[in-house]
Amino acid sequence: MKRWPVLLGLAVLALAAGVAVGPADLSLHQVARALGGNGDTATLAIVRDLRLPRTLLAFLVGGSLAVTGAVLQALVRNPLADPYLLGLSGGAGLGAVAAIALGVVGSWGVPLAAAAGALAAIVLVYRLAVVADAVLDTRVLLLAGVVVGSFAAALVGAILALSPAEGLRSALLWLLGGFDGASWTALGIFAVYATVPLALLVRESRMLDLLSLGEEPARFLGADVEPLKRRLYLAASLLTAAAVAVSGIIGFVGLVIPHAVRVLWGARHGSLLPSAFLLGGSLLAAADAVARTAFAPLSLPVGVVTAIVGVPVFAVLVRRWAT
Amino acid sequence: MQSTTRQTARLPVGVRVTVHSGPSRTSRLTAVAAVAAVAAVAAVAAVACGPRPSPAGRGAAERVVSLAPAFTELLFAIGAGDRVVGRTAWCDMPPAALDVPSVGDGIAPNVEAIVARNPDLVVLYASTANTAAGERLASVGVRTMTLAMDRLEHVPAAAQALGEAVGAQTAADSLAAWFTRGLDSARTAPRPAAPPRVVILTWDRPPIVIGGGSFQHELLTLAGAENVFGDLPQPSAQVAIETIAARNPDLVVLLDGDPNPAWADRPEWQVVPAVRQRRFVTVRGTEFARPTPRALGAVRRLRTLLDSVAR
Repeated sequence: MKRWPVLLGLAVLALAAGVAVGPADLSLHQVARALGGNGDTATLAIVRDLRLPRTLLAFLVGGSLAVTGAVLQALVRNPLADPYLLGLSGGAGLGAVAAIALGVVGSWGVPLAAAAGALAAIVLVYRLAVVADAVLDTRVLLLAGVVVGSFAAALVGAILALSPAEGLRSALLWLLGGFDGASWTALGIFAVYATVPLALLVRESRMLDLLSLGEEPARFLGADVEPLKRRLYLAASLLTAAAVAVSGIIGFVGLVIPHAVRVLWGARHGSLLPSAFLLGGSLLAAADAVARTAFAPLSLPVGVVTAIVGVPVFAVLVRRWAT
Repeated sequence: MQSTTRQTARLPVGVRVTVHSGPSRTSRLTAVAAVAAVAAVAAVAAVACGPRPSPAGRGAAERVVSLAPAFTELLFAIGAGDRVVGRTAWCDMPPAALDVPSVGDGIAPNVEAIVARNPDLVVLYASTANTAAGERLASVGVRTMTLAMDRLEHVPAAAQALGEAVGAQTAADSLAAWFTRGLDSARTAPRPAAPPRVVILTWDRPPIVIGGGSFQHELLTLAGAENVFGDLPQPSAQVAIETIAARNPDLVVLLDGDPNPAWADRPEWQVVPAVRQRRFVTVRGTEFARPTPRALGAVRRLRTLLDSVAR
């Protein structure tokens, strides 16, 4: 399969679908006119201020999660690694729930608290995993991530059980993830922020190739392994924390897209990372369109859609790869 | 009663008997004797007052654990508040209910805490999360009663079921009749020519709205408004902001909420005109959170609020 035409085609299709469909009953003609700035106020607002930023944000977050997953899988050399594995989902959940329990105000309070919780988890996991002589032990990293995440989840459970705040249970819905908080503002902030870690990760593609051979071979082949691992871990985690702030926790994309790309087109990171970005973005943008539209006026959590659509496709891919 | 340290029983004639029982054997014996005496007096009184019809042919419940705030309110409203020996942590109405010991959560309740109250009747909210607790209570010989409490029509039905269980049929019947009359008169009250189109928003991210399956939808409809999500059969549902924008409600009702919610400042919500122009109606109070006899007052308050906004 020709890689780039397929991936670019998918991306264009997914973005177009995200803007074209939605629970509001708009014809393609109306949508096209609204994109050109014509139509009534309500239609213009729905197409230009809701669908467009939402679809672009879903694409950007999906791409970022897929790249992060690919990098972390290479870093810890574990096929089960995903962007949230290293304590981020637990930390983000604790941040969000604590913010609501403490009555944090402001329209960005809860997302920022979730990002802060994720950052706190990153720092803690990092501190635990850096052993003697500033060596980042990736096995300890994995374990530290899991236990810090579990600990934070336990604290969330305790707060939920003990707090009388009725909104708290709904806070967990926020964590299930979705793009209801998408706006041009959120998109702009995320796009500017994500560029830095994404560029850094893509720049390390060749080093990632070396690292995925194992730390010893990478060192023999000239990689400065320790600073590399630290850079990769921090860039991937900071990117994920920002994704959590704009969209909560969306599973599956970061785990499965990198594997799918490896099965289809090989594991060289120079092309794996951009491919994962396009495929992850396409999947999440399309999944969000389905989540909004399939059972309209009801919405599905987008993570449910990514898993329902993605798992069968992935299963077929894995079978093909194994035989 | 072996594990209680303080035992209070009210005789039918209204004499309060308080029994203290400590760890010592003699005082426990005293307690058992005293409770037996109370039970004997109660039994005599019951016979003297004539037979009371009751479910399953058993006597009227004397020690009731109520596992939903709405049941606690109803029991107090039909004059059986003194029979309530256990409530949930959420039962705050009437204020006298706060004097009753809490057994914790009402959904998936703590069976041990309930049994420790030594009840002869436990009233459970009809939810699959309560099935296991109901079976365990039944297995230790406690009578249970499971009642639905999701719609306004459940209020008179539950009042009568509880009245029968505690032997307060007369009060329960009159409460049920009063409530049903109130509902009928609210239903037949003159409706505005153009009822305001309203969304009841209970959460902002993801947006969760009240659908036609909720009693809150009934409150809104009785107050003379039209729920823009009344077509949904669910009590509440997650929807996209786009859907709310497309249905374009005149007003946003916020339950028990902040009249100036922070999320209303977020850019994506400005697409909904009612949010952009802050056309909010904020109601507070548990009468909007659960179906109770106070629902009639809730409808009147909501109607007044909606009228004042419409002008």
